[in-house]
Amino acid sequence: MLTEASVNLLQSYQAGLKSYDEVLDINGKLKPHWQALFATLEKLGIEELKNRNAEIISKLRENGVTYNVYGSPDGMNRPWQLDPIPFLIEQKEWNGIAKGLQQRAVLMDLILKDLYGPRNLVRDAVIPAELVFENTGFFRPCIDIKVPGPRQLTLFAADMARGPDGQMWIVDNRTQAPSGSGYTLENRIVMSKLLPELADGMYVSKLSPFFNSIQNTVQKLADKSREAPNIVYLTPGPGNEAYFEHAYLASYLGYTLAQGDDLLVRNGSVWLKSIDGLQKVDVIVRRVDDDWCDPLELREDSRLGVPGLLQAIRLGNVQVMNPPGSGVLENHAFLAFMENICQYFLGEKLVMPNVATWWCGHQKELAYVMEHIDELIIKKANRKSKFASIYGRTLSNAQKADLKAMIAQRPHDFIAQQEVSLSTTPSLINGAIEPRYAALRAFMVANESGYHVMHGGLTRSSAVKDRFVISNQQGGFSKDTWIVSDKTEEPQERIVLNTPAAVNKHISLPSRSAENLFWVGRYCERTMAVIKFMTITINVLNLDRNFGGSAKQEHIKVLLQSLTHVSATYPGFLDGDEKLNDPYKEIIGLISDNSRPGTVASNIGSFLNAVGAVRNQWELEIWRIVDLIDNGYHEIRNASHMNSTNIQRTLDGLFNNMFTFLGVIAESMPRDNSYLLLETGKLIERILSRISVIQSNFGVGRNAAVENELIEATLINHHMLVNYRQIYKSHLSVEAMLDMILLETRLPYSLAYMLDELGKNLADLPAITRGERLNEAEKLALKASTLVKLSNIQDLTRCNAAEEREELFNLLAEVARLLSSVSIYLTNQYFSHTLIHHSFEPMDYDTDEV
Amino acid sequence: MKYKLIHKTEYKYAEAVNNYHSLVCLTPRTLPDQLCQDFSIKITPEPAEISERVDFYGNTTHYFSLHSPHKTLTVLTTAIVERLTEQTGSLFIPSSVTSGEARERLTTDRATKIAVLEYTLPSPQVKWDSEIQAFAADCFDDKAPLYECVAKLCKKIYTEFKFMPDFTTVNTPIKEVLAAKRGVCQDFSHLAIACIRSFGFAARYVSGYLETLPPPGKPKLQGSDASHAWISVFIPDYGWCDFDPTNNVVPGERHIVTAWGRDYSDVPPLKGIIFSYGKHTLSVEVDVIPL
Repeated sequence: MLTEASVNLLQSYQAGLKSYDEVLDINGKLKPHWQALFATLEKLGIEELKNRNAEIISKLRENGVTYNVYGSPDGMNRPWQLDPIPFLIEQKEWNGIAKGLQQRAVLMDLILKDLYGPRNLVRDAVIPAELVFENTGFFRPCIDIKVPGPRQLTLFAADMARGPDGQMWIVDNRTQAPSGSGYTLENRIVMSKLLPELADGMYVSKLSPFFNSIQNTVQKLADKSREAPNIVYLTPGPGNEAYFEHAYLASYLGYTLAQGDDLLVRNGSVWLKSIDGLQKVDVIVRRVDDDWCDPLELREDSRLGVPGLLQAIRLGNVQVMNPPGSGVLENHAFLAFMENICQYFLGEKLVMPNVATWWCGHQKELAYVMEHIDELIIKKANRKSKFASIYGRTLSNAQKADLKAMIAQRPHDFIAQQEVSLSTTPSLINGAIEPRYAALRAFMVANESGYHVMHGGLTRSSAVKDRFVISNQQGGFSKDTWIVSDKTEEPQERIVLNTPAAVNKHISLPSRSAENLFWVGRYCERTMAVIKFMTITINVLNLDRNFGGSAKQEHIKVLLQSLTHVSATYPGFLDGDEKLNDPYKEIIGLISDNSRPGTVASNIGSFLNAVGAVRNQWELEIWRIVDLIDNGYHEIRNASHMNSTNIQRTLDGLFNNMFTFLGVIAESMPRDNSYLLLETGKLIERILSRISVIQSNFGVGRNAAVENELIEATLINHHMLVNYRQIYKSHLSVEAMLDMILLETRLPYSLAYMLDELGKNLADLPAITRGERLNEAEKLALKASTLVKLSNIQDLTRCNAAEEREELFNLLAEVARLLSSVSIYLTNQYFSHTLIHHSFEPMDYDTDEV
Repeated sequence: MKYKLIHKTEYKYAEAVNNYHSLVCLTPRTLPDQLCQDFSIKITPEPAEISERVDFYGNTTHYFSLHSPHKTLTVLTTAIVERLTEQTGSLFIPSSVTSGEARERLTTDRATKIAVLEYTLPSPQVKWDSEIQAFAADCFDDKAPLYECVAKLCKKIYTEFKFMPDFTTVNTPIKEVLAAKRGVCQDFSHLAIACIRSFGFAARYVSGYLETLPPPGKPKLQGSDASHAWISVFIPDYGWCDFDPTNNVVPGERHIVTAWGRDYSDVPPLKGIIFSYGKHTLSVEVDVIPL
């Protein structure tokens, strides 16, 4: 039963309709499920819908769901846009659509096998020879690339939109590394968390069977003799638009996320470089486009692929899905011949039409296109030819003449398509429900009996009114897509698969991830060390200002110089008296200048990069903290506009968030190699930063009043002031302080404690060289620890004739040297990726447009 | 004519190379007028495995990879090749099909079109513009036999261009070669192919060897022969017909065919991906010894 209000909401929506809309059937009658949805929306109220929308936005942000856009003003990490109103398709209609999609997938697979096989389609004049030989997606080295099993095309996606007859039409094919299924899944998960009541009174088909199907298919591709195959999800890396999805799907499906140079072909097999050495790879699910897969046989300048990969596939030692070369089907011209191809292969008509397409390489079609250019969209047949689609109706006469001349010159390069009428669908726009044009991407995966179609899809909707701009590259937003029915036809399905991550537990950490985790630890601690000491220094400066005193007192100068040392931002405060007497400008720079290495901003930037590069490692809780740190990062870059109170507050906030980051890691992260490396990085940095402060503060002996100030600052820096006061009350002495910060093994910031912890971590890392009880890094750490523990505090405190604490300084220098060696050892042992020699210019990006 | 063929390629690296992947395209083809009786490939340091493969064009290639540090890499191939005598000579005209007719048949005869289409299109290293077409304009005449037009073009290149090693690299664009009027066999072949394709005909790149003759009365020096490149043009009623624009001769007994493709990039004799930072030097020695 609809309330009156809901009729009003629906009526007002319908009043705004100008073209065919999804809420109406072909006879203009309201579809029952949309009616139900509107009733629910009404009950919820537009205000509550707006609130939920805000929650969705912040949820997506928190979850780090991004779609990167090259050269966009927002820079990288653009948040993913999701409309709270889903796109509904009735189950019965969907069944028909699914049949059409399955037939299309079968055809695409047959075409693929034919083009890289006998090419009967060309010989029997079903398609022109140009579709093969002028097709930039046709890669000659791929003629003998085959995956086992009846189907070559494993993953397939088709873009659909409503044609003028109200039927769904296919407008485009994605055949090499289809993107979007991960965003679709995330859309569903966010929607079911934040708007669960929207599905009241209807059954929405689950998405998980599709992902189960992928896992089954991949499992079958894997070497049957291996119980736990090693499956790698190959991404071009964090620079790719859809990197979020790559990391997301890799961890959802339980595969190891890897980039090209994490892999290596040796003896005809593909191996993953991991901190345990080389691990054989059985299956690669790739998100790297065809031509970038193997620089030996495909694009020579590719740094994203694996040299020798094609040969490894030919030898049958690794399976890649989709096989390289499958992008040949993405050529737009195939759409013009699909009906004939269908007749040729299957002896039947296309179940689902595709958008009317003319290939200009034939005289008759060319003449038609020239005649009707006003009604057509002109595209290049080859997808990657950097040619934007041209809408004939938008051209002036002169432009039309130019376009025609261009087509006439190389007609076979061009295709023309009828402009699809499309349909509009309700969308939440600035707090009101308005019609917007939408199109739908459907996903398929080959299984034993044919193709499994995902019960749902990725709906993209135009952000602007009355126009159709849906590419995520150019703006627009996505919608959850619901296949709805009155009653459930299938048992309720699990949302979480039974095999997340667990499948791959035996797989060790890829070297690149290992290195990034190590640097997450280092940059996190480095940032905190700088902030901590900076805060101490600012507090002392503020006291000084409050209590007068014209020239800067000596202890302040020392602290400022230590700040330069601990942040390694030379020359900084070591550069004469000018900065020392007016330190604020330099301090602001040390906070906000992200172009200067060593500053807070620069360290956080590096930290965030390292975190992003291993995003599949993080649980949601961590991602939430990272988001807060990211906010802080943006704030401090504007530090020059802040007053000292604001600065202090922002720095405190950042410090607390980073502390929380370490806390969540300590409380939740599995104690595996990832954790060990992160901890190791953190400890190395913590020790080095403390050492540099001690050296700078106490390397030279000073009068007692100055040293008392320095002792207090140092104790705070080691989180030990309270402890010190409990033991020594108000008596401050260098000797007592050194004893505590160097040797007190109960205190986590003492050198002895930190070195012991470091030694334990290093001992737990995988041993690559066997036979020795201690690895080289352990020996170095043990040596450093022993040197510290055997030192005599009185000797360390004593100054020589030149008033230098020579022994202290030398001891600390030696410890720092040993720790640097540990870091180098780790790099050589676990992280080394030798670079590919490349004599080519920087490359284009491999784009993965959703 | 029977030859023993020896081709030695040696890379020396400044820094040790740990990983190397390579594709070798050095096996002479067996053709109606050429018989490759024996072929062997020896690589030092020795790889675990050498895989042989026949590529899209029917050329035989070998893939190998090395995974232990090395500072020198040698690839030595040997073969016994018999070239069968063919009708050659300046009076030989394979087909009198005119250029105009040939162009027509290349597009209207379906089987022909499928066979030669890719050799009429721009390829990775062969692209053209009006300037390149203008260079060859005085050679092509729709009423003249295609064979004669191509022969005229080869003669024009031979006459106007200077053979100069080291002036160009494997990546020098055709336009630069055209401007400088100098280059090596690969450049002249690419230029000729570009000109021929620009008029709508099919031309392919042939990679192989040429037996060189020592100056009269002098002994032949070891390693003095060279790998060579020339072109082949599709002439209706005849088939693929070879031309050598570098020497302005009709390839015959002394030309040994290794591979063909759309251009050099389809058939480089040796290419590899090195994992290293350092520089390397390359030396090649070829002997074509009559038996």
